[in-house]
Amino acid sequence: MEIEIISFGKISEFIGNQKMTIDCGTTDELKTHLENIFPQLAGMKYKLALNKNLVQQNSEINNSDSIAIMPPFSGG
Amino acid sequence: MNTERYQRQIILGGFGIESQQRLTEAKVLVIGAGGLGCPALQYLVAAGVGCIGIADHDVVELSNLQRQVLFGMDDIGLPKAEVAAKRLQQMNPETELILHPILVNRTNVIEIISGYDLIFDGTDNFESRYLINDACVLLKKPLVFAAVSGFEGQIAIFNVANEFDISTNYRDLFPVQPGANEVPNCAENGVLGVLPGIIGTMAAGEIIKLLTKIGKPLINKLLHYNLLSQEQYEINISPSDEYQKVTTEADLMNNNIENPIQSYLEIDAERMIELSKKDSTLIIDVRERHEFPRLNANTFQQVPMSEFDRFASSTIKADHIVLLCQHGIRSVAAAEKLHQKYGDTKRIYSLKGGIAKWRNHFLTF
Repeated sequence: MEIEIISFGKISEFIGNQKMTIDCGTTDELKTHLENIFPQLAGMKYKLALNKNLVQQNSEINNSDSIAIMPPFSGG
Repeated sequence: MNTERYQRQIILGGFGIESQQRLTEAKVLVIGAGGLGCPALQYLVAAGVGCIGIADHDVVELSNLQRQVLFGMDDIGLPKAEVAAKRLQQMNPETELILHPILVNRTNVIEIISGYDLIFDGTDNFESRYLINDACVLLKKPLVFAAVSGFEGQIAIFNVANEFDISTNYRDLFPVQPGANEVPNCAENGVLGVLPGIIGTMAAGEIIKLLTKIGKPLINKLLHYNLLSQEQYEINISPSDEYQKVTTEADLMNNNIENPIQSYLEIDAERMIELSKKDSTLIIDVRERHEFPRLNANTFQQVPMSEFDRFASSTIKADHIVLLCQHGIRSVAAAEKLHQKYGDTKRIYSLKGGIAKWRNHFLTF
């Protein structure tokens, strides 16, 4: 299926915003997949949002869902 | 209250004298009078918030002036809280300003924030942000959070219940504080001066909305703003069960340990060479594979940072682990990761200054 990836901050420097074809059915699988293709991500703190809702537990992904990947910001 | 001063907002439909009265009665604490704090303070004072606390322990530096618009050349070297208060008092003598020219830390945070109705976090580091968050959770204080990085900003409102009586806090977003060096700050990453101006002003708008109960404040929402594309992205925050909520002052203390006991040692190249002679020492180069100079693989095991978590989850036999990289920054992050896993059961070292500093010492291997 095809999903939309939206990323922020430092993460957007290597993932950016893109349509991605995946065969992951859940957010946990997607995380593993993303960390495999973008190894930089594995060492970072980040959170996913599925269709603009923060992912707090493993959730099902459907075709054309949007997934946002957010790092924490500390600057002021 | 001088109603003429606030006339332009009092005449607004849905605002009126009642809202103005609410602002006059409000006590807001702004922590950090920097890039975010300056514009927020300006608009909160201008809007007629009755009492504003300014907490900042820093002095004005030349490199602040690009974004911290309350300060000028004559203020360099002077305490930010004092300079800001002087300017703000000139703008609006009706606002009572309270100065806290000290570092907010875990022993004074409760006392400082308890006198206010609403807290604005405009600090510039995770240690302060987690501490302020936890203190606001403990005291159930509404917290307006704003942070910037590069050309992007984040704003959220925590500890305010929505219509379903659900409230969230920063730990629902990011339960664990990132380690030092894990996320670059403005000093390392840079920030376009106008960005904190926009985000700080948006935060002031959210504070005014909360205080006057108008509009839809960002309760349980995280708003992302991108200056380059003018795009905004809003996500709904829900409670997480990944962390223990702060319920006592002891929790606050334990969650926010200051200057943690050095978990690893920063060493020079001489010490590294000494250690390398022991059988029980493992030296790890955490640079990525494309980086130069390449080191002797017999002595230096390469584990790039991008693969480090996977490596760290395996069991390391060596008792002494030396980490190094180009400048000694990533190796600190790696050292912290290993310390988290092994605690004091292994001795962990980071080569201070990295290969760049000790280049000649690496020729001998």
